[in-house]
Amino acid sequence: MKTLQLDGSEGGGQMLRSALTLALVTSKPFRMTHIRGQRRKPGLMRQHLTCVHAAREISGGSADGAEIGSNELVFHAGTIKPGDYRFAIGTAGSTGLLLQTLLPALAMADKPSTLHLSGGTHNPLAPPFDFLERIHQTALQRMGFHAAPQLRQHGFAPAGGGEITCAITPSGRLAPLDLTDRGNHESTRIRIPFRNLSADIAKRMLQAALKILPCEDARIDQLPDGPGQGVACLIECGFTNTRAMSCAFGEMGVSAEKVGHRAARMMDGFLTSNAAVDLHLADQLLLPMALAGGGRFTTVNPDDHVTTNIRVIETFLPVKFEVKTSGNGVHEISCDPV
Amino acid sequence: MKRVVIGILGTSLDRGVSPERWEKWRPTVSLFQHEDFLIDRLELLHEAAFQDLAECVAADIRQVSPETEVRRHEIRFGRDAWDLADVYGALHDWARAYPFDRRHEDYLIHITTGTHIAQISLFLLNESGFLPGRLIQSAPPRGGTLGGAKGPGRHSIIDLDLSKYDALSTRFAKDREDASGFLKSGIPTRSEAFNRLIDRIEQVALRSKAPILLTGPTGAGKSQLARRIYELRHQRGGLDGEIVEVNCATLRGDTAASALFGHRRGAFTGAQADRPGLLREAHKGLLFLDEIGELGLDEQAMLLRALEDKTFLPVGSDKPVKSDFQLIAGTNRDLRAAVAEGRFREDLLARIQLWTFSLPALRDRREDLEPNLDYELRRFAETEGRQISFNKEAREAFLCFAEADDTPWHGNFRDFNAAIVRMGTLAPRGRIRSGEVDEEMARLRESWKRPGETSRPESGLERYLSESQIDELDEFDQVQLAHVVSVCRECRSLSDAGRRLFSASRKKRATANDADRLRKYLARWGLEYQNLGG
Repeated sequence: MKTLQLDGSEGGGQMLRSALTLALVTSKPFRMTHIRGQRRKPGLMRQHLTCVHAAREISGGSADGAEIGSNELVFHAGTIKPGDYRFAIGTAGSTGLLLQTLLPALAMADKPSTLHLSGGTHNPLAPPFDFLERIHQTALQRMGFHAAPQLRQHGFAPAGGGEITCAITPSGRLAPLDLTDRGNHESTRIRIPFRNLSADIAKRMLQAALKILPCEDARIDQLPDGPGQGVACLIECGFTNTRAMSCAFGEMGVSAEKVGHRAARMMDGFLTSNAAVDLHLADQLLLPMALAGGGRFTTVNPDDHVTTNIRVIETFLPVKFEVKTSGNGVHEISCDPV
Repeated sequence: MKRVVIGILGTSLDRGVSPERWEKWRPTVSLFQHEDFLIDRLELLHEAAFQDLAECVAADIRQVSPETEVRRHEIRFGRDAWDLADVYGALHDWARAYPFDRRHEDYLIHITTGTHIAQISLFLLNESGFLPGRLIQSAPPRGGTLGGAKGPGRHSIIDLDLSKYDALSTRFAKDREDASGFLKSGIPTRSEAFNRLIDRIEQVALRSKAPILLTGPTGAGKSQLARRIYELRHQRGGLDGEIVEVNCATLRGDTAASALFGHRRGAFTGAQADRPGLLREAHKGLLFLDEIGELGLDEQAMLLRALEDKTFLPVGSDKPVKSDFQLIAGTNRDLRAAVAEGRFREDLLARIQLWTFSLPALRDRREDLEPNLDYELRRFAETEGRQISFNKEAREAFLCFAEADDTPWHGNFRDFNAAIVRMGTLAPRGRIRSGEVDEEMARLRESWKRPGETSRPESGLERYLSESQIDELDEFDQVQLAHVVSVCRECRSLSDAGRRLFSASRKKRATANDADRLRKYLARWGLEYQNLGG
């Protein structure tokens, strides 16, 4: 089969992960050059390498150039082998991103699989587990994917040590996505999970968030003793047709109030828009939507991630995306078979 | 290729069991938190007292780096973790027992943790090859020392194999060039063989304390070279003591032993006070024994013991004295022949000839005459305090003479130096002219004559021509003229001689005046047949 050529110089790790998923699903080999070309440290980092290894393992494929710092990779997927897999990610790398890479592929198999992933579950710059479980998974379910992610242990950066499992059952016939109208804003809830930190920090974070987004369903969750320490502010809004989540992580040198404000303002911004899907979810829905044979959703101003992701998907699958402005900063992204 | 880190647990830097430990920089753990740096295995060395901490660190590493296998090794640094011998010994033992597999594994020695003594020991073990691989050093993140670490910090890999650094290689080459140039007294010598010899002497002089034997004809520069070797080693920290030079030919009779090895007061008549002797004076320095072949057999035996044991007995003393010196011996004789004749101890020769360098005679380094000429002119200016120089023609004439194949330079540099000193001294206003050069050439030729030896083979012309007249003849003409003269002496008349000398061409010609032809030939040299006394 002809090897697809991909230029990674515009993209980041997500471009590589999308390519891996698509290679697993379509069995099309690819060569990616200039991997993470514009990042400060270009090439494959440890967490990307773990993704490559995992993709190779679940399909019995082969990967050439799977080395730290490598900026070129040739990947041949074999046949997806459903089963019980364990993968550990170093440097508290995101278990969620690895799950998103493997899930669509294992869902296409004819038998169920279970993934046990360890590493980080609540890292900056990656979807926290709560987002995976309550937002991402809900959207995927609408298209016909069946997966049940479970959080066994929180893992905050930089200590990691988190664990998630996910049972994946074969999806039947997938249905196109239609998420153009979110419906009415029906509920708001705020959770502040924290570990090995003073409860006062979590309380101050919650108060700050509540000032911007007052709601009833708000609480701090002291996590049982475990690896590392950390705190996150997770704000979820329920709409008639969908859900959205914003999050911010506590970090050294940043006040608890600032973290609370940050998460609340993000959600507030989304609420004032009329989009059905926030930016993070938008990026993550593109690939499943294409696999499901198409669909459409509205979102806020799409960024470069969306553009590069679309390009990768169109390289592998016979689909065509379209991004249209529909006023007030809302965009409609549609995907149709060619 | 697997990447393996070998490191010592940092009992203070790696410390921490509370959850806050993740917020600070811990060198050993942080090394495994770099997203672009993957280590396959860690060999973590620690003392038994720190087992709990080592286990905590190992567990933390497994958590942030599931790709890494962590192995703990208990090691005993002994009573005092600041004792170099104990710590080095412990690490040396560990390294020797460790199954290094350099074909499949790349070793990085982490030197950020451990006491300074342990770090020094790791350096030394790495440098000496017992701990193969490269060093790795880590540092906390910039601006992250207070209030939590921002990222895992920095690390750099250091290869102690300095030959791999281009910039350093050039530097070393420059140093070596400097050292070789130093040994050559800064003279840019051109003789390839000589330059190679000096390069080799430079290597040996800087690396070895073993005796050096300099052979070569007298005046080839043995003492000068010995002095330069001493100064080079003195500068580079190899020798702290003084240089002591002695010509063994001057050590004759009863006082030889006492001059070399010293004596106790009253050891013999005239020994009025203790005398340390030259070997003692050369302690921690360099002893240059020139013309070592002239040393008496008893002194040879004592010298051998002094070289082997670094101790000797002064004359009349039963208390051995210590002296650690480097020996350079010089000789212009073939010591092997001296051994065969029983005049030189074979065991001593074996001891001193480990590094034997043969300095060529000046006549074998003619291409070096010009650079040495410039050097001698500078040296004259330094010692005499006035500049001297050659006229252009004078310089050319002197070099032409000096470089000529038949200029023997019997006394080598001694002659050469003397020639310059004489010319410089005689030159009016420091300017050496053709006159001084002519005079000097005659003087040198005269000095190279030995009794019973003439400057050239007898040609038979000496009876009829002056020496200076003969000197002006080309060899070509000399041989011809000598033969013509000898024929003339054998013949009864000019015509007779002419017929004999031109017999071949006579047969082809109808008429001939051989006598006239011969007369004219002789006249060219101011000779007449009548005066040849046939």
